[in-house]
Amino acid sequence: MPEQLQSAPRTDGVTGFGAIVVRVAAQVLETMFFEEAVATACEHAWLPTAVTVHVSFEGSHRGEFLLSVAPDTARSIAAGFLGLDPEELTGTQAAEVILELANILCGALMSTLWPESALSLDTPELASAEHAFLGSMHCCFTLPDGMVAVSIGVSDGDGAA
Amino acid sequence: MPISVMIVDDSAVMRGFIRRVLTLAGFEVSECLEASNGEEALTGLEGHSVDVILTDINMPKMNGEELLRRLEMDARLRSVPTLVISTDATKARILKMLSLGAQGYITKPFSPEALREELERVLGEKYA
Amino acid sequence: MKSLIVGISDCKVSNDLDSTLVTYALGSCIAVVLYDPATKVGGLLHYMLPESALDAQKAQQNPFMFADTGIRALLQAVTASGALPKRMVVRLAGGAAVLDTEGVFQIGKRNYLAARKILWKAGVLISAEAVGGDVSRTIRLDLATGRMWIREAGAIEKELMQHHSPRKAVEGV
Repeated sequence: MPEQLQSAPRTDGVTGFGAIVVRVAAQVLETMFFEEAVATACEHAWLPTAVTVHVSFEGSHRGEFLLSVAPDTARSIAAGFLGLDPEELTGTQAAEVILELANILCGALMSTLWPESALSLDTPELASAEHAFLGSMHCCFTLPDGMVAVSIGVSDGDGAA
Repeated sequence: MPISVMIVDDSAVMRGFIRRVLTLAGFEVSECLEASNGEEALTGLEGHSVDVILTDINMPKMNGEELLRRLEMDARLRSVPTLVISTDATKARILKMLSLGAQGYITKPFSPEALREELERVLGEKYA
Repeated sequence: MKSLIVGISDCKVSNDLDSTLVTYALGSCIAVVLYDPATKVGGLLHYMLPESALDAQKAQQNPFMFADTGIRALLQAVTASGALPKRMVVRLAGGAAVLDTEGVFQIGKRNYLAARKILWKAGVLISAEAVGGDVSRTIRLDLATGRMWIREAGAIEKELMQHHSPRKAVEGV
């Protein structure tokens, strides 16, 4: 396992950033993907096989957002969003839905963390799980079919934790 | 009454979600044009008239803000109702888009039912 | 006026204009109520759990215990009685936060998410709902008019009006 994964920061309890990520991620996953996400203690053994998406943002804050989703969870999320059975999904569809989930989650988090901000988000891209941690902000979630991890790194601006 | 629609979003699966809501909400969709950015949308709208334009904001090449500006400058397209569908829930952004002529704004994530309601509001009673 | 009573893990479909479909004391359970105004066919399902995968044997004995098998069976039954999915009014009630056997409040919410997911997959949108919170609900559907009435514990009976956005109507889910 890459060293970054072992030395990764832990889920940030229920205060500040952690509480906002927990609330926003649960709301996003319930509203459009019909999944229940429960914040959980970090466990990262699954990360090397995860579908990981990277989104850069810039404007009043600059930084990067990372979403990692376990493969079975990705299929279940994608199937829910598209209104299909997981068996009917193509690999491309599953990846595209996770890219859009990252876009929605990142945008919703930015709007909630920094409601006065003016930000623009880059197009989400698939990334390697080795880069799953960029900053000190990180949360893990359990869904019925597996796990989801969210990380945010802020490189400048006044929003850093 | 049948409606024709232009959906502008850089995510194909999000365009699919919106299309599904349109169909399930009971709108009779006669034509559904799609574009993955503002530039493609303007090209697609040449020689086409639509009843409503649904657009994202963050898109490559030409974003939704610039698209609304271009629509405002076009005598033919200026009167077409636009509904913005974006992850950006900041007040400044919403006010900006409304000042550029958007008639509706819904933030992602939204439930299928919430989009139906906003569409019905923007389109008015004649299409409901 | 006859009352056709739908029990827990039960489902009834009818087009008898002299009847009302009724289910009592919905806690974390969900009632899915379908009605086709053209044929006046109505159906009411009262399920307990979100997924038949929890107990495949029980699901085979009684599909109405679970959201997935129950909603599928309800849709089939109303369609077989002449209802058209695209005409149907779909309403939900229940899904309250009630302590489950593990002492957690999640089952109502899971039941609600399961209904939304299955209905989206089945291609029908929800017209109205009274879900969440921590109250017990009794509901009835008048088959002649399609009007649905809801009585929350300790309150008077009210009509559940259509076309409320779920995100706005739901509190505490």
